[in-house]
Amino acid sequence: MKQSKRFFMIPYFIWIGLFVIAPLVLILYQSLTNTQHQFTLQNYATYGTSTTYLHMSLNSLWYAFLITAITLLISYPAAYFLSKLKHQQLWLLLIILPTWINLLLKAYAFIGLLSRTGSVNQFLTFVGIGPQQLLFSDASFLLVATYIEIPFMILPIYNAIVELNPALINASRDLGATNWQTFRRVIFPLTISGVKAGVQAVFIPSLSLFMLTRLIGGNRVITLGTAIEEHFMTTMNWGMGSTIGVVLIVMMFIIMALTNDRRKKRREVNDDEEN
Amino acid sequence: MAAPIIELQGITKTYDDGFTALSNINMTIEPGKFYSLLGPSGSGKTTILRLIAGFTNASSGAILFEGQKINDLPANQRKVNTVFQNYALFPHLDVFENVAFGLNLQKRPKAEIKKRVLDALKLVQLPGYANREISELSGGQQQRVAIARAIVNEPKVLLLDEPLSALDMKLRQDMQYELRELQQRLKITFIFVTHDQEEALAMSDEIFVVNDGKILQSGTPVDIYDEPINHFVANFIGESNILPGEMLADYQVEFVGKTFECADAGMKPNEKVEVVLRPEDLDVTTAEQGKLVVTVDTQLFRGDHFEIIGIDDDGNEWLIHSTNPVRGGKHIGLTFEPEDIHVMRFGEKEADFDARLEQYEED
Amino acid sequence: MKKIKFSSVYLVLVFIILYIPIFYLIFYSFNQGGNMNHFTGFTWAHYQELFSDKRMLVIVLDTFLIAILSSLFATIIGTFGALGIAGRKSQRTKSALLTLNNVLMVSPDVIIGASFLILFSALGIGLGFGSVLLSHIAFSIPIVVLLVLPKVNELDPALLNAAQDLGATNWQTFSRVIVPYITPGIFSGFFMAFTYSLDDFAVTFFVTGNGFTTLSVEIYSRARQGISLEINALSAVMFLFSLLLVVGYYFVNRYSHSRRQKQRRHAKSEVTLS
Repeated sequence: MKQSKRFFMIPYFIWIGLFVIAPLVLILYQSLTNTQHQFTLQNYATYGTSTTYLHMSLNSLWYAFLITAITLLISYPAAYFLSKLKHQQLWLLLIILPTWINLLLKAYAFIGLLSRTGSVNQFLTFVGIGPQQLLFSDASFLLVATYIEIPFMILPIYNAIVELNPALINASRDLGATNWQTFRRVIFPLTISGVKAGVQAVFIPSLSLFMLTRLIGGNRVITLGTAIEEHFMTTMNWGMGSTIGVVLIVMMFIIMALTNDRRKKRREVNDDEEN
Repeated sequence: MAAPIIELQGITKTYDDGFTALSNINMTIEPGKFYSLLGPSGSGKTTILRLIAGFTNASSGAILFEGQKINDLPANQRKVNTVFQNYALFPHLDVFENVAFGLNLQKRPKAEIKKRVLDALKLVQLPGYANREISELSGGQQQRVAIARAIVNEPKVLLLDEPLSALDMKLRQDMQYELRELQQRLKITFIFVTHDQEEALAMSDEIFVVNDGKILQSGTPVDIYDEPINHFVANFIGESNILPGEMLADYQVEFVGKTFECADAGMKPNEKVEVVLRPEDLDVTTAEQGKLVVTVDTQLFRGDHFEIIGIDDDGNEWLIHSTNPVRGGKHIGLTFEPEDIHVMRFGEKEADFDARLEQYEED
Repeated sequence: MKKIKFSSVYLVLVFIILYIPIFYLIFYSFNQGGNMNHFTGFTWAHYQELFSDKRMLVIVLDTFLIAILSSLFATIIGTFGALGIAGRKSQRTKSALLTLNNVLMVSPDVIIGASFLILFSALGIGLGFGSVLLSHIAFSIPIVVLLVLPKVNELDPALLNAAQDLGATNWQTFSRVIVPYITPGIFSGFFMAFTYSLDDFAVTFFVTGNGFTTLSVEIYSRARQGISLEINALSAVMFLFSLLLVVGYYFVNRYSHSRRQKQRRHAKSEVTLS
């Protein structure tokens, strides 16, 4: 059995080697070469000294932060209210359904909605504000990115809220806490793991939404993802593209380290002590 | 004595981390009998069962099935079947499919499978449940399906791993009767693992008391109850008053500062021993007539008897089962017969113990 | 009472925001006018245009072929991967394997796309159908593992012992106990892999050459050129398809559940009749 099991696992291990480890090694290796395939640290030097790159990175981080914050602000109450509804499975399905519509189609819808003569501007004209340049602005990028990420934030938070033992809320009320106190001292701390999972699910992709910056942001917003895409697909400077890629990977690990469940770690430590 | 169906010879089981689960286990299992492996959790009793079933391997020693060594025979080729602790019924199959699982693997004809499955369900008193889902059954019904699934394959030995532990008290007692009856009807060997001494005493032809990976004592329920080999067995099986004592001579033992006549012999003069007095062997009488005098401390009504705790002048606690109540704070006398006193030697091996008992019982 | 109202209003708003762009697209797919601004009259013309667009139909077929093939391979490889991970005794090996498994789950699409592009060029694999298929298999495997693994972990080892005890060989234990037990996990794994593949844009964008295109990439390049109501029609069709998928998935789940119920009722009536 053991041998046959090993045999069946071979494709999986090949996958790990070829599509998990090798790409990471290759992107690191590529970042250390120039266009003439020579070993060099030049890309990192360029990145570290160029105000354009640093500014772009900070900008990308800032936008990712904004997208995450706005999404969280909208999603937490939505998830909370959702958990109080009847027929939750149906409503949940309705939250998930838009995520199955191709992202490009949703972006395309906003091109129509936000265009100079689009419905939003018609509405603005109607209420007397007059048409505005909506498309190809920072705000439109934020709006569309937030729109796309909302379901990915609602779901983990919803799951965390549903897992919450209702007896704890009753206990808190029983001990004299008001609704707000119960929320602040019991519900929120216990659902923070869902928030962290949501932040992870939203923040990292937000660093790399290059198609939105192209279609909606009109190249006014440049994210790390946009820069990578440009270096790989347009200027063909794979070395520099990989360097930015490595920066993005490092940021990803930082975010994951920050949002990893601390409680879990503490539990592991306790286990060790018991053993 | 019939030829043994299963023999364990010098079985030792050591895990990779150095933990010894079983050391030098020797057992002889005869066909058609009901055996219990009785011991506290972690004693190794389930490991013995898993060895016989083939789910785990012995580090050394031999397992014989009808005289053939089966150490390396995989579980699916052994002529034993198991009733698992939490039943291990396949949740994706219904009752019929669960019971038919083994027969389907043997590629029996459809009609035969149907007949045998329905017969087995009838035998465990679940006729008409064939097409139920497992999740729809109560614990007791799942238990019966698990038994049917095992016996439908007509094993020569049925292994039962604490099968009653998940049931409530009343159901457990009913199942004890049923299992015993089933075993007598099928005339196959049952090896029953339990930590419940009452269960073992009620059902078994023979009990193996297991602790710390060793078999401490084996014998009929009456033998083990009446003549526990040591402190552990006396304590684990039934309730006991266990006191330090000294064997003055054959049939004469001293404890709590008094000398009593007893039924034990074959020990060294003045050997330090332990003395067991079962609570139901102690009779309450007046303080003047008692061989011992205790002061009643607490008394609980247990339904069929009163459980009295008395304290003697030396401060020893005495557990007494009495059909009549006594008042607290009162001095009472306790009497008992010489054969009610069970004397245990320290560190006596089972073989020596049996030999000694045989020797003076012949007198 | 007031609070309930607020929460309902809030949720309704969220749902409206989530669905406005989608229905907006679908609505204008029936517009006689050529844009998404003024609805001038009802027409099926854009759908006719879509269904007679040979290039688009080939792309749709290619997209589905990639989705089906990649999710099939990913499901097989991922299921064995999950079984293998669960079978590891050492906790450290397990978590190391899981970490490696999850790398592609948390990596941004751009990184996956770029690094796969480097990989394919390093291996000398030409860009096109093959590279896209390989990439889709690769990024779908971890989600299959993550969906199958809980079912494998849930599997009581006593069930495997029970199968052996009843005479099952290793293969029979695998096919008759393990696989049926973890089937719901395999099923959702396949399903998720399928939707991942249909949805993907960024990775495909990097690893597809000039000769091969999927729907997402095609929409991207057309959207960059501006509004075309043929895309609206396409999005309406895709929305309908997603809806069908959801409903189908829901009913398949329900069906496998109710099939047993029905059997039981049938059996019951048999018993009462006899």
